[in-house]
Amino acid sequence: MSGFLQATVYGLLQGGLLALVAVGFGLDPFLGMFVSAAVLFVFGYVLQRFLINLVINGPIFITLLLTFGLDLMIVQGMNLVFSADYRSIKTSYASESLAFGGVRVPLGRLLAFALAVAITILLVAVVNRTRTGMSILATGMDRGAARLMGIRARHVYALTFGIAAGLAGMAGAMIGTVGTFNPSAAASFTLMSFVVAVLGGLGNMYGALVGGLVIGLVQAWGGQYLPGTWVNALAFLVLIVVLIFRPTGLVGRAFYASRQEV
Amino acid sequence: MSTSTQTPPSTNVPRQGISGAMRSAQARRLFPWVLGLVGLLAALGLQSQLYSGQERTVATIFMFVALAQAWNLIGGFAGYASFGQVAFFGVGGYFTAVAMSHWHFSFWMSLLLSGFVAALFAVIIGIPLLRLKGHYFAIATLGVAEGMREVVTNLTDLTGGGAGITVPTVGNNATTAYLGNDGFYLLFLGLAVLSVIVGGLVARNKFGYALRAINQDEDAAAALGINTTRMKVLTFALSGFITGLVGASYAFQQVTIFPERLFDVDITVLMIIMVIIGGSGTVLGPLLGAVALQFLSEFLRQNFTNLHTFILGAIIIVAVVLLPQGAVNYVREARRTKEFSLLANVRKYRL
Repeated sequence: MSGFLQATVYGLLQGGLLALVAVGFGLDPFLGMFVSAAVLFVFGYVLQRFLINLVINGPIFITLLLTFGLDLMIVQGMNLVFSADYRSIKTSYASESLAFGGVRVPLGRLLAFALAVAITILLVAVVNRTRTGMSILATGMDRGAARLMGIRARHVYALTFGIAAGLAGMAGAMIGTVGTFNPSAAASFTLMSFVVAVLGGLGNMYGALVGGLVIGLVQAWGGQYLPGTWVNALAFLVLIVVLIFRPTGLVGRAFYASRQEV
Repeated sequence: MSTSTQTPPSTNVPRQGISGAMRSAQARRLFPWVLGLVGLLAALGLQSQLYSGQERTVATIFMFVALAQAWNLIGGFAGYASFGQVAFFGVGGYFTAVAMSHWHFSFWMSLLLSGFVAALFAVIIGIPLLRLKGHYFAIATLGVAEGMREVVTNLTDLTGGGAGITVPTVGNNATTAYLGNDGFYLLFLGLAVLSVIVGGLVARNKFGYALRAINQDEDAAAALGINTTRMKVLTFALSGFITGLVGASYAFQQVTIFPERLFDVDITVLMIIMVIIGGSGTVLGPLLGAVALQFLSEFLRQNFTNLHTFILGAIIIVAVVLLPQGAVNYVREARRTKEFSLLANVRKYRL
C-alpha cells in the first residue's frame, strides 16, 4: 500500500508531460492519458521489481529514502530535458463550463472528477473480485502467509507499484488540462497525495476518494471565506484534528495503522 | 609494557588478566569520549586554516550534525519517523527573530528561550500525535510542519509574513553584536558537541534502553513497566529542544529569514537521510552521515552545478541499496559475523 502512495509523484508529472507529448502527436489528452498510464505502469513495475524490492525487508524509511533519491533524479532529469517552464495542455473544451442553475461547472474538472470516481470503483472491483486483486490484499495482510499460498510477492509488489504509477500518470494528464505544472511541482503533489491517503485512511479503497473530497471541499470553502493564505493551513489542521480523534483516518482500518512494517 | 616488565609474570598472570580486562573495559568505555575530544580539538584547529567562506560551509556541516543527532533521538532510538522535525527548527528560528526585533531580547536569552519554546511545542503536539504509528505519525508531523509554515506566513504583524523578518544586527537596535563567521563557526560547533553528548548519554542510559524497547515492541515495553507515553513525549521534547536551538542560531546567522526556508521540508528530509545513511540508533552514525552527506553535497554543488541534485539522488539510491541499515550498523554487524561482503548484505534486505 505504501508503494502505492510513493508512485504517485513520478506518475503525476511524467503523466502530464507524456500526455503533452501525446498531444504533440495529435492525440486528445483524455485519450493520451491512457497512453501515459500504460507507459508509467511499465516504468513503475520495472522500478519496483528490480530496485525497490531490493530494500523491501528494511525499515519503512528505507523505502521512503530510496524513492526520495529517485524523486531527486527524476525531477532534476525532467528539468534538464523539458526545462523548468510551466506548461499546460490546451484543449478546446476543458475550459468551457456547464451551467446548472446559478452554478457554473468547468467541464475539464467535471470530466476529471468523473474519471477519478470511475477509476476508484473499477479498482475496488478488480481488487475484491479478481484473483490478482485478492493476491494483492493477501500480500498486504501477511506477506509470509501469502508466499506460502503460492503468491509471488515480488510480482505483486511490482504490480501494485505499476498500477499506482499508471493511475498517477492519468491524474497528471488531467491536471495538465485544468491547470499548469512543472517538474518542481512534484513536491507539493507528493505531499498532498500523502495527506489525502492518510486522512481518508489506509486499507480501505474508498479512503483516498473520501480524503480527496474532504480536502477539496475544505480548501474550496476556506478559499472563499478565509483571508490571506490561511486556507493552506486549514487542510493540515483538518488532517491533524481528524487523526487525533480517529487515529486510523476517516474510513481506514485499524490493522493498517498499527502495523509497523510495510 | 612497563608494568609487565616490572612484575614477575609467573605469579601475576591471573591477577593481571583480570585487571587487564577491567582496564580494557574501562578503555572501551572512555574511548568514544577521547575520540570526541580529539574531534573537537581538530575542529577548533581547522578553524585557523579556513578562510571565511569555507568557515561558513563547515559551520553548516556542524549545524546538520546537531539536526541529525536530534532527529536520531526520536526517529532512530524510539523509531518514530518524525517528518515534521523542521517545525521545531522554524519555531526556534522565528521565536528568536521575533524576540530580538520586537521585544529587544539579547540573542543568548532568545536562544535559550527558543529551545524551551520548541520543546514545549513538541510536548503539545507530541501528546496527541505520538499515539499514532507508522505512516500516520509521519504524515501527521509533516502536516504540523506545513501548517506551521502557513501560520507563520499569515501572522504578518508578528513575523513579517512571506516578506520575511530581519533580526537587528547593527546600530542602536542591535541587542547582540553579529557574531561573524568566526563566532558562528564556534556556535554551531558548540551545538554539534552538545547534540553528540546528549546522543551519547541517551545511548548508554536506562532512558536509551527504554526507547530501544519501544522501538522494537511498544506493547512489550509497556508490559515491562516503561511509561511509553512519557518516554516518547520526553524524547520528542529533547529532540525539539536541540532542533529549536539550532533554528535560533540559524535565524541569527541568516539575519533575514523567510517561512519558506525555515519550514522547508527538504531540511527534514536531509536530517533523515543523514541518520539513515550513517546508521540510525547509533551516536556515530548521524555524525558521520551529516559530515559525509553535507560535504558531498557541497562538493557536487561547486563542481557539477547543473547535475548536482541528479548525482546526489543517484548516490542516495546506491547507498540505500548497498547499506540499508546504515554504514555504522553495517560495520558493527560485519565485525561480529565476519561477513564483509556487500552482496550478502543486499541479499539480507531483498525480497
